[in-house]
Amino acid sequence: MGARELSGRDVLVRSVRGQARRCAAGAALGCVHQLGEALVPVLVGVVVDQAVAGRDGGRLTVWLVVLAVVYVCLSWSFRLGAKAGERAAEESAHTLRLAVLRRVLDARGGAEEGRLPGELANVATEDAKRVGAVAMALMSGAWAVAGITVSAVALLVMSVPLGLIVLLGTPVLLWLGHLLGKPLERRSEAEQDRAAQAAGAAADLVAGLRVLKGLGAQQAAVERYRRASRVSLAATLRAARAQSWQTGLVLALTGGFIALIALVGGRLALDGSLSLGQLVSAVGLALFLLGPLETFAWVNAELAQGRASAGRIAQVLATGPAVAGGDEQVPSPVRGELRLRDVRLDALAGLDLDVPAGRLTGLAVTDPACAEALLSCLGRERDPESGSVELDGVPLPRLDPAQLRGAVLVAAHDAALFDGSVAANVAPWEEEPAGGAADAPTVRAMAAAHADEVVRSLPHGAATGVGEGGRYLSGGQRQRVLLARALRAGPPVLVVHDPTTAVDAVTEAAIAAGLRDFRRGRTTLVVTNSPALLAVTDRVVLLDAGRVAAEGTHADLVRTSPAYRSAVLA
Amino acid sequence: MTPYDTPAGPPPQGGGTPHTAPDTAPDAAPDADRALLPTATPARTRAVVRQLVRPHRGLVVAGFATMVLATGVGLLTQPLLGHIVDVVTAHRSPDALTWPVVGLAGVAAVQGLMTAVGLSLLSRLGETVLARLRELFVERALALPLERLEQAGSGDLSARVTRDVSRVADAVRGALPELTRSGLSIVLTLGALALLDWRFLLAALVAVPVQAHTARWYMTNAVPLYARERIATGAQQQQLLDTIGGARTVRAYRLQDGHTRRVTASSRAAVELTMRGVRLVLRFYGRLHIAEYAGLASVLVTGFLLVRSGAASVGTATAAALYFLGLFGPVNTALVLLDDAQSATAGLARLVGVVDEPAPPLPAQGAARALGEASVTLSGVSHAYVPGRPVLHGVDLHVRPGERVALVGTTGAGKTTLAKLVAGLHQPAAGRVAVGGAPPKESGGAVGLVTQEVHVFAGPLADDLRLARPDASEQDLRDALAAVGALGWAEALPEGLDTVVGSGGRALTPDRAQQLALARLLLADPPVVVLDEATAEAGSSGARVLDEAAERALHGRTALVVAHRLSQAAAADRVVVLSDGRVLEDGTHDRLLAAGGAYAALWHAWSGSRSPDPSPAPAPSPAPSPAPREPARD
Repeated sequence: MGARELSGRDVLVRSVRGQARRCAAGAALGCVHQLGEALVPVLVGVVVDQAVAGRDGGRLTVWLVVLAVVYVCLSWSFRLGAKAGERAAEESAHTLRLAVLRRVLDARGGAEEGRLPGELANVATEDAKRVGAVAMALMSGAWAVAGITVSAVALLVMSVPLGLIVLLGTPVLLWLGHLLGKPLERRSEAEQDRAAQAAGAAADLVAGLRVLKGLGAQQAAVERYRRASRVSLAATLRAARAQSWQTGLVLALTGGFIALIALVGGRLALDGSLSLGQLVSAVGLALFLLGPLETFAWVNAELAQGRASAGRIAQVLATGPAVAGGDEQVPSPVRGELRLRDVRLDALAGLDLDVPAGRLTGLAVTDPACAEALLSCLGRERDPESGSVELDGVPLPRLDPAQLRGAVLVAAHDAALFDGSVAANVAPWEEEPAGGAADAPTVRAMAAAHADEVVRSLPHGAATGVGEGGRYLSGGQRQRVLLARALRAGPPVLVVHDPTTAVDAVTEAAIAAGLRDFRRGRTTLVVTNSPALLAVTDRVVLLDAGRVAAEGTHADLVRTSPAYRSAVLA
Repeated sequence: MTPYDTPAGPPPQGGGTPHTAPDTAPDAAPDADRALLPTATPARTRAVVRQLVRPHRGLVVAGFATMVLATGVGLLTQPLLGHIVDVVTAHRSPDALTWPVVGLAGVAAVQGLMTAVGLSLLSRLGETVLARLRELFVERALALPLERLEQAGSGDLSARVTRDVSRVADAVRGALPELTRSGLSIVLTLGALALLDWRFLLAALVAVPVQAHTARWYMTNAVPLYARERIATGAQQQQLLDTIGGARTVRAYRLQDGHTRRVTASSRAAVELTMRGVRLVLRFYGRLHIAEYAGLASVLVTGFLLVRSGAASVGTATAAALYFLGLFGPVNTALVLLDDAQSATAGLARLVGVVDEPAPPLPAQGAARALGEASVTLSGVSHAYVPGRPVLHGVDLHVRPGERVALVGTTGAGKTTLAKLVAGLHQPAAGRVAVGGAPPKESGGAVGLVTQEVHVFAGPLADDLRLARPDASEQDLRDALAAVGALGWAEALPEGLDTVVGSGGRALTPDRAQQLALARLLLADPPVVVLDEATAEAGSSGARVLDEAAERALHGRTALVVAHRLSQAAAADRVVVLSDGRVLEDGTHDRLLAAGGAYAALWHAWSGSRSPDPSPAPAPSPAPSPAPREPARD
């Protein structure tokens, strides 16, 4: 996307242009439909005038056939036009959804910065949908213009004064209704917000049900809810009353307008300047006109929403990358030595750190922020403010970020599990095997992470689904599956962060041993304060105040470093 | 005029068609072995609704009477227009137009006023009944035994309280008044046609079989299709959340291609189902057009015949034609709303199902706190969630009043199950659990339970705490917060204890939420406490703060602590090691260390070289597998 920042307007224009043919077809067909709709009351007037009043059976037949033809046309044009419009809306939403997704998943990252996942998912669904709906709204606008034009021509042909009254009066009528209804509408919106709170409160109490039961506090909760519900009810009633009055107001205005047309039309008809049928048609057209005019109001609201949504999509798409992206290839084979020099980022204050190739290194911190900052540098989620990070002597920013992640894998503490079987989560890049059975490397990795025990306790073994975000697994089970995945990936350099915090002490000790054996001979950095894990490392580094404070084996540090003792042995 | 009230045919807006019912709430996972909460039968649902409506009979009568009046008055419009046509046909003086026009204006004013009043009354009725139902639902939901809820899955109840309540509320606000108005319009218009001439009514009814058949055909096809569409939309949303929520992981493991494929597939599936829904709706409208034409043509033919035979004036025929044109809007509205009404009815049945579920009455707050002796005794307790897969085997355990016992063991050793039995959430399959000599009750009993599940109740922080003790003074709250070390940050919140926290308010970190849970425990002041929290990460500074907070919350109480960190075990009076549902070791921390068994191995591994003083060994190389090895299950 070029040098100019992508705007919401660009997103809208591209989205509509991408569906130009469907939009054009939909608009054309919709105009035919409107023409038909406008003709129905006209034809009813004609039938009354020529056939009923003239007592002419032949004309009756002719005009009923015409009416049938009009109905066939309006029905089919509506069907085909609306289908084209809806298809255009859906397709452009789908295209936008994928564009947002691609941006979020881009190897250089950055799109999630400051946005919650739910918010981004909302942009990809709701906002994409609203921008897609703009195609439909534009078409509806075109239809409404056509409908108004047709009625205007028909009315003016019948009688210029009556036509003008209807054409000028209808917008005034709608405007009046809008103006008078506005205070009511505003009030109603505020009240509805308040009313929605009761629903939220109920959901909240149900979500905290176990906590309430644990305290025996249900009675207090019920009483509190009843109060909230009553307050909410009062607000809802005020809102509903406001809305009822608005409905009544619009009805009264419309009725008054019809009376006006009847008065003027009747007088014109008595003058002989208007035929009887034309009078009936005029009343029918006045009622019909309200439809397209209301559509205008709706189109306006849709466009406003579409513009806002397009702006949000543009913002996501135009977000700058979080890290500079090089395109150099990772030197092969990877020896796996990491070297940090004078790295500054957040809590890191000029960190110099060497992670030797082929060894298991432990890293303990006095401040968790140090660990976070270090991991985001190594995982290329962020670049350090200053200083350098090198893999086998090559600075990371020069390397292609996606390729680098194949060589240096950062297994985050809060990494995600995806909906699917345990086996599919441990080896996500493999085609999911039939029946969910795990292949041999997966089995080995799971054994090392003690995830085999998890699998044994699940109803369908490794083929058991983990649910969205792994919610069917307990915290300890999830961590073991996460670790198994990191081990299964088998990168030359593996950085693991706090892999056992939710695991009981017995299992933790076993996992520590499994991890050490599995990674033997390959570079591994374990960032943790857990003594069980640190005890199996070759060497431990303690970070304090953003720098290396002590180095040595776990046993040495426990003996010699009070800072280490207090950080690790809570 | 509603957006649907276009004189002929359906609204052109795509946004107004009924198929767009985005329901992003993921449907509860379809789990075969779940026993969902019940859904009420239609008869039972009607009975409950009748019962809820009964106290408001006055409103019902007044609301419907006003609406009938409003609609009836509105129907004078067409005869008045017809009269104007007759005046024109008869070439009478322009003054003859005056009274019908004044009549039209009067009709408009009265109709507007009556509609406003009628709709207000109807919404008062609907909203009041809905509020009562909502309250009954929450009351019953909170009283249901947890065991029952766990069988149903946690999603079931929360889906009902969010999705079903909002569906019913939407219907009460939108569909109910609209359906009432449309229904009355249709019935009264048909009546008015009959008043003009009964033959007009017959002519208009030509459309009815087509409409009825169309409606039935539509409902049969639409209900399952929309259910599928909702599931597909939910799946698409879920897939997006799954992928976007795990974007860092996707990048780290370079899974972009696979995830883009997944999202594309789920989005495509949702798009195609939406389009199927669109096609269905459009076919539905196509058939309605046929009905409209048939009815309109037959009314016009009837008018022609009646005028020719002199049985009706041209004005009457005009009025009949206008009546019929006026029917298009209400008929379309009613048919379109059938869909909403149907989904609301289904939601209503699910709400009534819960309201009807038997549940023990809610205990009065703190009623059963008085307890003879705060001891806990388990004798020969066995338990299995699934028959044939026992989790506990013949456990014997006695906790003396004021004693603190820590439970240690691997995941799946039965710690949490044991805790739940003591808290009375489950009944043991065999053996006996006694708290103060009596079987524990699920709630309101002598046992306070703090679980791994942290929940901060939405609303002011003080209100959250007062759930535990509604009559607590401001000072009580401060004392409780101070005791768990939370007063500092609580007072530093923008509005202190009045700060709105929880969903929709300020989010609290898990550590703080857990402190809050302990503060609530202090306020509730139960003599026996079961603590099963695992929020703090071992080794983190949060763990120390929480250990201290728990220390104070447990002071002077009989406590069973599920130890997620060995520091919790070390602080207990006694440690019980569970393995595979059996008690493996039981003794004080020091005694078990000295004994050199499973617990000692565990402790050494956990504490690294900081072995207890008697042991001279420096950093024991970590035991490869200090776990008491369990025999393979099953």
